[in-house]
Amino acid sequence: MALLLLGLGCCVLAAAASALPRSRRVPVSAGLGAIGCAIAFAAAMRVLVTGGVESFHTTRLLPMIGLSLSIDPLGALFIVATSFVGFAACIYCIGYARGELQSRTAMALLMVFILTLLAVPVASSIVSLMFCWELMALSSMLLILTDQRHSREARSAALWYGVMTQLGAASILFGLLLLTVHGGGQTFADIRLHSTALSSTVRSFAFFLALLGFASKAGAVPLHVWLPKAHPEAPSPVSALMSSSMVAMGVYGIIRVGGDLLHGGTVWWWVTVAAFGAVSALYGALHATTSTDIKRLLAYSTIDILGLVLVGVGAAGALYDTGHPGVAQLAMMAALLLVVAHAGFKGALFLGAGSIERSTGTRDLDQLGGLIHRMPFTAALFALSACSIMAVPTLSGFSSEWLLLQGLLHGFTDRSTPTLIIMLVGVVALALTGGLTAVAFVKAFGIGFLGQARSPGAANAVDVAPSMKIAMALLVIPSIVIGVVPGLLLPLINRAATTGLATATPSPVERGTSLVLTQFRGTIEPAVLLAGLVLVLLIVWAVNRRLAQRSARRVDAWGCGRDVQTPRMQYTATSFAEPLQRVFADVLRPQSDVEVTHVAESQYYEQSLVYQNRVSDALEQHGYRPVIDAALRVGKSARRIQNGSIHRYLAFGFVALLLILVVLA
Amino acid sequence: MSTTYVGALELASGAVLVSAIMTLWRRQVRSIVTMLSLQGIALAGVAVVLATHEHDKALLATGLLVLVVKGFVVPGLLRRVSQLDPNSRESAPLVNVPASLVFAAVLIVLSYVVSSRVTSFAPTVATHLTPIGIATVLVGYFMLVTRRRAVSKIVGLILVDNGIALVTFLLTSGVPLIVELGSSLDVLLVVVVLQFLVVNMGRHLRTNELAEMKALHD
Repeated sequence: MALLLLGLGCCVLAAAASALPRSRRVPVSAGLGAIGCAIAFAAAMRVLVTGGVESFHTTRLLPMIGLSLSIDPLGALFIVATSFVGFAACIYCIGYARGELQSRTAMALLMVFILTLLAVPVASSIVSLMFCWELMALSSMLLILTDQRHSREARSAALWYGVMTQLGAASILFGLLLLTVHGGGQTFADIRLHSTALSSTVRSFAFFLALLGFASKAGAVPLHVWLPKAHPEAPSPVSALMSSSMVAMGVYGIIRVGGDLLHGGTVWWWVTVAAFGAVSALYGALHATTSTDIKRLLAYSTIDILGLVLVGVGAAGALYDTGHPGVAQLAMMAALLLVVAHAGFKGALFLGAGSIERSTGTRDLDQLGGLIHRMPFTAALFALSACSIMAVPTLSGFSSEWLLLQGLLHGFTDRSTPTLIIMLVGVVALALTGGLTAVAFVKAFGIGFLGQARSPGAANAVDVAPSMKIAMALLVIPSIVIGVVPGLLLPLINRAATTGLATATPSPVERGTSLVLTQFRGTIEPAVLLAGLVLVLLIVWAVNRRLAQRSARRVDAWGCGRDVQTPRMQYTATSFAEPLQRVFADVLRPQSDVEVTHVAESQYYEQSLVYQNRVSDALEQHGYRPVIDAALRVGKSARRIQNGSIHRYLAFGFVALLLILVVLA
Repeated sequence: MSTTYVGALELASGAVLVSAIMTLWRRQVRSIVTMLSLQGIALAGVAVVLATHEHDKALLATGLLVLVVKGFVVPGLLRRVSQLDPNSRESAPLVNVPASLVFAAVLIVLSYVVSSRVTSFAPTVATHLTPIGIATVLVGYFMLVTRRRAVSKIVGLILVDNGIALVTFLLTSGVPLIVELGSSLDVLLVVVVLQFLVVNMGRHLRTNELAEMKALHD
């Protein structure tokens, strides 16, 4: 615990270092932040390896009640993922910070954000959790505004985020407080002890309230609307942290409250969680395929992956409640592994998107192209991370999704209807989103990095500062490690899963470098796969070299034999996704506009043709808009009684007084 | 119980209400302030009558305090404000004078109806007079709402305060000196602040009709 506190202290120092003069501010502050993250990483790793629980309580930080922290393997796992991304984000910042992000406020807020992300998984009382949670929400909300506070989108995004996160926090607080009504204290240890004595109605009510708040943070559809707005508008290191770590806190909350504090509950809780997950996975993946803003695409794919994580958590909870702790643990491990893997590749992808934005000045895929020649290093890392998220074998996305699929398939051993529904829907969601994610990231990489530049910005791009490349490279490491030797990390994940489910069953996965399920048939050897892949590539390369007799001829990429190839003849991000958009038109509800201008002399000849295609969030348009409009109408009508006349305000008071007197008389 | 005491108490209390109604009747801002001064003296009279009846020296001191603050100091300050514009008149109140007087009558009836429960708890000479205090509060509030001039509004506010003071005198035979001291000084402070505001408003906006300040809102 002392080690973790040292790490947190380092982050506090880093926040304080933002008071330094401008020239030294960013390196010192980011450096201290990185050191803090490294220490926190070491502390959390130690807990994961030894499996102990360490606690700390101080009454100096929060008045009256005090701050309680306690690190157990479940929290430690989330700290490991967060601190790794935090470390990379700090390093990235050294090269990235410019303009507003260099300001005192922005640096301090960034460090506070990292600090709270590290503190949320160890907060061990309701007050401590809510304190860290709210600070996390507040600092990230303000960070959205630092970079482009004058843009209308950023302000609207911050407002949406602020409102949604506050509603979520209120819901969580209310749910957790319900657990304390029947005596006991507000520390998690007390709740854990007394929660079995509560009536099942109270437990369910509390769980669903907390679930609403946590699911909203995890970007579960339909509570996701803030996410595709907020993540793209934040500065890229912040987006990376929000998307890989902050949304994971939602998952952490659901496991902590449902699995740990309430000891499982009923199957229906977990059916709800899995339903949230399946819907989010499909909805997120679909929107990711049609997004043309690269950061928006990444944000939607976050909703997609987190949806799969929720499916895993839901399946684990349901299987645990129906008496299959072995499979339950497998599903939980898969979900947690996916969280860790996602932190790595999504962090790398967001940092990559930041690099693209920095060197080209745009996030619009339709303006990019050909970046592989101008930013080769970034392109390679982006490709690797994209492969990982597409679940290409021997990378982390594959290992974790394979494990999830195994968990779901073996879940069919339980014959009760709710679990069967979860497993069936989960498998379908996993399969379908796998395909859609592939489309989305083939598009992101293909349109963004291949072909020819579609704008001057992309044509004149230069590769970014070394620290930004190093940070991205760091975040690719987990993709490779988890992908090639998943067995190394699994004992640690297993320890976290046992804490989350409060079981003591032996690990369903064998120790070793490969993935071998002990209780079921299921084995993959990613290292062997990798060796085979390399071998095949070598053979293809050798055969190609032997067979290729003709001399090489250099032509435009994808030129199809044409001599003159202009950037406008290429696929755009919009046209690439068009077929899918057509298939899923009922869900996506795209708005297309064709505007034709005729030549003045004849209406049979067209002068110009403008095609516009927009896919806005249908749930936001049809679910949230009416509610917001109604609230605005009520607000406006309340304004009508205020016209600024003092006489009228006084008359309100006078009439109210007379009415009260008449009623009393 | 001597009839002199009853007569004096009724006379003083009645004077408080009558002077309140007179403020509604008069248009000249200066004479409204004069009415306020008369009301302050009448209120002090109520306190003094009660004090002599109950041989309460603290109440007597309170009465003297009321006489000084509400009878002379506060009206004096307001008179100084109104002298900035000696001919200022309540030319077009939001509710005209005859209608205001009729409405005042309604308010007096209402206050009698409302306070019938209060008086039935402890039917003494003093408590029977509480409706007068409540009526003063209501008339003051009415003045606050319907008069346009800033000074008339301040007068309305002080009428409300005087009405409350009258009710407390009648129901509790006087509050401790320290409380009355506090509330009187409060009123004094409010008047000083408002005086400052009115003078500055007049200087900057060339008006002290509050209706013309609607454009300042938001």
